[in-house]
Amino acid sequence: MNAITLRINDRAVSAEVEPRIHLADFLREDQLLTGTHIGCEHGVCGACTLMVDGRPVRSCLTFAAGCGDAEVRTIESFDDDPLMTRLRAAFSRHHALQCGFCTPGMLVTSYDIVRRLPHADEARIREELSGNLCRCTGYAGIVAAIQDVLSAPPAAPVQPLTRPAPTAPAAVMGAPAVTGATSRPSVAAPREEAPSPALPPLDGAITDGVTLTRAIPLDLPPDQVWALVQRIDAVVACLPGARLIGATSGEVLDGTFTIAIGPMRATFAGKAAVSFDAASRSGTVRGRGGDARSRSSADGAMGFRVAEGVAGGSRVEVDLTYRLKGPLAQFGRPAIVSGIIDRLLADFAANLTALAEGREGAVTTEPPSGFRLVLGALAARFRRLLGR
Amino acid sequence: MKPVAFDLTTATAAPHAVALLSNVDIEAKIIAGGQSLGPMLNLRLARPGHLIDVTRAKDLRGVVDEGSALLYGAAVTHAEIEDGAVPDATGGWLQAIASRIAYRAVRNRGTMGGSLVHADPAADWVVTLTALGAVAVIAGPGGAAREEPLSSFIAGPFTTTLKPGEILTGIRLAKRTADARWGYWKFTRKVGEFAKASAAVLIDPGAGDTRVVVGAIEQPPIILPAGDAEAVIAGRLPIEEALRRALPHRPPASLVLHAVAVREALGIAGAAGFPAQDQGAA
Ligand SMILES: Cc1cc2nc3c(=O)[nH]c(=O)nc-3n(C[C@H](O)[C@H](O)[C@H](O)COP(=O)(O)OP(=O)(O)OC[C@H]3O[C@@H](n4cnc5c(N)ncnc54)[C@H](O)[C@@H]3O)c2cc1C
Ligand code: FES
Ligand code: FES
Repeated sequence: MNAITLRINDRAVSAEVEPRIHLADFLREDQLLTGTHIGCEHGVCGACTLMVDGRPVRSCLTFAAGCGDAEVRTIESFDDDPLMTRLRAAFSRHHALQCGFCTPGMLVTSYDIVRRLPHADEARIREELSGNLCRCTGYAGIVAAIQDVLSAPPAAPVQPLTRPAPTAPAAVMGAPAVTGATSRPSVAAPREEAPSPALPPLDGAITDGVTLTRAIPLDLPPDQVWALVQRIDAVVACLPGARLIGATSGEVLDGTFTIAIGPMRATFAGKAAVSFDAASRSGTVRGRGGDARSRSSADGAMGFRVAEGVAGGSRVEVDLTYRLKGPLAQFGRPAIVSGIIDRLLADFAANLTALAEGREGAVTTEPPSGFRLVLGALAARFRRLLGR
Repeated sequence: MKPVAFDLTTATAAPHAVALLSNVDIEAKIIAGGQSLGPMLNLRLARPGHLIDVTRAKDLRGVVDEGSALLYGAAVTHAEIEDGAVPDATGGWLQAIASRIAYRAVRNRGTMGGSLVHADPAADWVVTLTALGAVAVIAGPGGAAREEPLSSFIAGPFTTTLKPGEILTGIRLAKRTADARWGYWKFTRKVGEFAKASAAVLIDPGAGDTRVVVGAIEQPPIILPAGDAEAVIAGRLPIEEALRRALPHRPPASLVLHAVAVREALGIAGAAGFPAQDQGAA
């Protein structure tokens, strides 16, 4: 819990807040100011827009614990504000609302437009409103209401406020070690996810998937690569982020796959089915997994073929179709995922080569933790298996 | 959906933030405007144990005039740049770029430093400040400081060269004179959305700087080799060919939009032979 003191609607408020509570929840649930609405909680819809220090902000992307000394104004504080009174009347006149869900955010944004851009034309108003979504009215009435108020713009432009510098224990400043400056985090280390038992069977085409094809060159003869790729443990060990759970039964595996994209980390727990065709030195992998924490899921089908490469080496041709669902899909734009897959395949090729040559762990891997250990252990085992 | 529990400490200054970052033995992260980290926290895609808020750290909030360059504090917001509340090293380019990032409510909190460390390849500062030859100024444990050109600082999608315990304290931008020209063009289907393709062009004959940068792809912005950039501007090398050389692994069809972005950015920069089509762009 963090102690904060701030001003809300011209009232001094002191409160103990849990750091993860965003300002919108704090206002609604702790302060019972339910005029602020919550829609998407990731900054896109604008329903939660309110004023902090004289500027409109997303209260869903502002933590209450970070609002010490702030001046917060919610829609409730505008009851007697002359400009907001004009905006409200114009909204009614121009039918600028129906269900009213977007309206608190729309009014705060409109208030900002009118005071900051007194000469805005229709195009500019529409541009400024693009961060507030209305699902039922359509924007024509809202734009007309703002234009109406702008026909006699208010004299005073906006005056954003500057928050005073925070006060902190002086001893802490610049000191190399900060003992006791923060409480011990109340969070436990993430647990390993167990494979979810309720996953649907591994078949069927992936609809709306994204398809990628790649060719990975390897400095190893095709015979050796073909032998290696049939060793499921070896493949898993060489694939950064992949981990087997329990014993492999036949060609269906249980495992986890951790991917890291900047600060995001998702561990998909699931199953994969693998098949090989010795005649064509090719195979398929069909996998599916879910990350319970982010409620995201991934579905993938991969075909691969080991072909002759240049100078006695080989080339592994891969085609992959995947589909991401859930929150992660929002950040995992196809271009980003294909970049990550390229890095993954490059690491995989380097690891496989290193494994075949008996140099385990020679390359850096992502995600960093855990993998090296697994690789080291498996590499040792594989050298035994391969008689090296 | 709500974030998992974490601790939050408001840093008073950059050294305080660095000290806090090195002190905690659980995954600690800096939070600036929270406009990129916030959604990831709310969706539980990121689960740090401790957040260090730098938005009130005084030494990260201003702009220092270094003579031939300006040093922007990492926590200067997009809106402060848009409003001209801080000086502009380029005589207007930064203002124009800032005003078209996301939405005003996001710009009021989002910071230049946060955008660079988040390192979304489609982000506006990532592409344009690379074109401007910006330098990242970094502080690390024990008062260590280092600097690195942005072109190598952004190491991959959502990846920088920041090492554990390091923070970005500032962004250094050379002052440009009136004869420097620039253009930035991005393709979005809706105002405030991340770009699907973008390009930035700097032509600064006084400083001998010419840069053509292509953005919004799965990797850090691509800087065309100087020779190719000059040949493109002089009309001696087709844009499509320069892009094929720079991105040999990409199917040519996927580069069409990027070629349009380069052409538009050149037009906005006033390069002869490239009439600007999209007058509304900046
Ligand atoms: C709806 C919406 C639309 C958007 N549209 C666009 C757009 O069109 N173009 C665009 O460019 N951006 C867009 N953004 C992103 C926006 O510009 C963010 O402000 C920016 O990417 C991140 O800045 P921030 O200060 O909010 O950083 P935060 O979200 O606080 O932090 C981002 C990352 O940087 C790290 N970090 C921050 N500061 C430092 C520091 N000083 N040192 C070390 N690490 C640090 C954090 O740990 C975190 O990993 C959009 C955001 C939203 C919510
Ligand atoms: S709830 Fe905050 S922007 Fe949608
Ligand atoms: S009035 Fe219903 S969402 Fe706007």
